[in-house]
Amino acid sequence: MKKVSSGIKTADKVFHVATGIAASSPVLFLLAIAAVVVVQSIPSIRLMGWHFITGIEWNVGNTYGALMHKNGVTAAAGASFGALPFIIGTLASSVIALMIAIPVALFTALILAYRLHGWVQWIVSILVELLAGIPSVVIGLWGMVVLAPFVAHGLGPVLTHVGVLIPYFRGPVGTGMGLLTSGIVLAVMVVPIITATTRDLLQQVPVLYREGGIGLGMTTWEVVRYIAVPYIREGFIGAIALGWGRAMGETMAVLMVSGNAINFLPHNLYSPISSMAAVIASQLDSAMSDGSGMAVHALSELALVLLGLTLLTNLLARLLVSRTHHRRQGVRA
Amino acid sequence: MSQPISVHNLKAWYGTQLTLKSVDMELPASQVTAIIGPSGCGKSTFIRCLNRLHETLPGARVEGDVHLGTQDLYKVDPVDVRRMIGMVFQKPNPFPTLSIFDNIALGLRLGGVHNRGQLREAVERSLQMAALWGEVKDRLSEPATSLSGGQQQRLCIARAIAVQPEVLLMDEPASALDPVSTLRVEELVEQLKDTYTIVIVTHNMQQAARVADETAFFLNGEVVEFADTTTIFTNPTDKRTEDYITGRFG
Ligand SMILES: Nc1ncnc2c1ncn2[C@@H]1O[C@H](COP(=O)(O)OP(=O)(O)OP(=O)(O)O)[C@@H](O)[C@H]1O
Ligand SMILES: [Mg+2]
Repeated sequence: MKKVSSGIKTADKVFHVATGIAASSPVLFLLAIAAVVVVQSIPSIRLMGWHFITGIEWNVGNTYGALMHKNGVTAAAGASFGALPFIIGTLASSVIALMIAIPVALFTALILAYRLHGWVQWIVSILVELLAGIPSVVIGLWGMVVLAPFVAHGLGPVLTHVGVLIPYFRGPVGTGMGLLTSGIVLAVMVVPIITATTRDLLQQVPVLYREGGIGLGMTTWEVVRYIAVPYIREGFIGAIALGWGRAMGETMAVLMVSGNAINFLPHNLYSPISSMAAVIASQLDSAMSDGSGMAVHALSELALVLLGLTLLTNLLARLLVSRTHHRRQGVRA
Repeated sequence: MSQPISVHNLKAWYGTQLTLKSVDMELPASQVTAIIGPSGCGKSTFIRCLNRLHETLPGARVEGDVHLGTQDLYKVDPVDVRRMIGMVFQKPNPFPTLSIFDNIALGLRLGGVHNRGQLREAVERSLQMAALWGEVKDRLSEPATSLSGGQQQRLCIARAIAVQPEVLLMDEPASALDPVSTLRVEELVEQLKDTYTIVIVTHNMQQAARVADETAFFLNGEVVEFADTTTIFTNPTDKRTEDYITGRFG
């Protein structure tokens, strides 16, 4: 056998190292960000303990007065960081967004995948993708100018009638800036994401399986319900989780329509809220003026909680999508 | 009681391409009709027009008429047509997310049968008829995809007959099966033909000769010859039929 020249060996090593660095850079990047957020959060974690996620009062304290020493850390006097309203705001608005977006996206995806053909399908697909590309600040503006008044004067008063059955639907409706409007704005942003993924999944359902149902005398809806949707189930849940992550992390649009609630929990569907992402963006500037630095640490801890939640939903999404993929391959054999 | 199918001036298109060119056929009740012909001649397209499956493909179109008994099939809801005319496909296609039991029970449930005992009975009966019961009776709740290809095909046969259609269309039902399973399917066809009008597409000349009462030879989207099976195989009138069955082309 011919010997491999040392030049080739060196090139090979360089190549290995280079690809290694390239491949691991996303992980390193993620770890670096996580590390910063964790380190920055530590003083706040020590100050607040579990009260950070159970407390309601968010107060930077008297940043010009005396410093307070507690649990080995220093903060402005009277400072208290209870993030529960923001955690609830994030979860509630994103869940409302999903409750609106899931049926809309599934229905749109079904029409795109099975009902429309040729250039009509192409155009509607493009429109859905365009919707995904609208900057969130533009959607936020629409939410403020169009949606909030509509919620305050049209949708809200109608929905309050449901309050007889479900207490959370009871008024007062307020200004229209709040939970429901945030949820709808987020739904608009999440629908294209779920739709596009679901459409791709539905198109991958082999026509042979659908014809099995059609040939048995199933209606279009029955084929969808018993064959197509079960076939893509995990992938669809994955798409939902991706959309959920997106909704929880969305900052600008929510900041614009949430009503910026602070120090209270939402009491009904129309109540003003704040989300974790929106609070970080809107409070960071004033937090910088806290000489003890604690306000910034508290916002970091908020970022840590948000990061944890979005990572969790994303991981879940990947897991479910890849499981569908494996099963589909198994079925083909 | 099963009924005859009469096909008159049937044409089918894929987009602008005319694939079936004016087919006229009388398929007698309670008989097995075999469709033979070279690959691509329109056999599958033809039987997919009988249960109105052809028109579900984007761009596909049908013209002409198909009667089951006195009923004009192109004037009733296609869903009802397909409940009367069951189909077994060229490739096994059990519902991949359902269990063996549910593959058969689903059609019944959608047809309004919900009684647990009745379902069990119907599932067992269909599986018996499809010669699959013995192999699956202890694993009815396992996924259908855990079965072998031949078993899956017999499951599809069971699924089709469970809902008791009047006509059974079989598109090369045995092409994916081993000789033993093939034999079972042929026995099944023999047994079912008292109750069903059966149309079976096959590439296998011996199979047509064994199971069919009548045989139609298709070529380029047309029926070249349609007669009782013995005549087709021993004394065809058309030269092209003779060439095909003696293996000179196709
Ligand atoms: N979905 C489709 N789109 C376009 N053309 C098609 C489609 N399906 C079939 N065809 C064309 O129609 C013609 C008839 O096809 P068909 O499937 O009916 O043939 P077949 O006799 O069943 O062949 P085989 O024995 O190979 O199954 C062929 O030329 C084929 O290319
Ligand atoms: Mg075919």
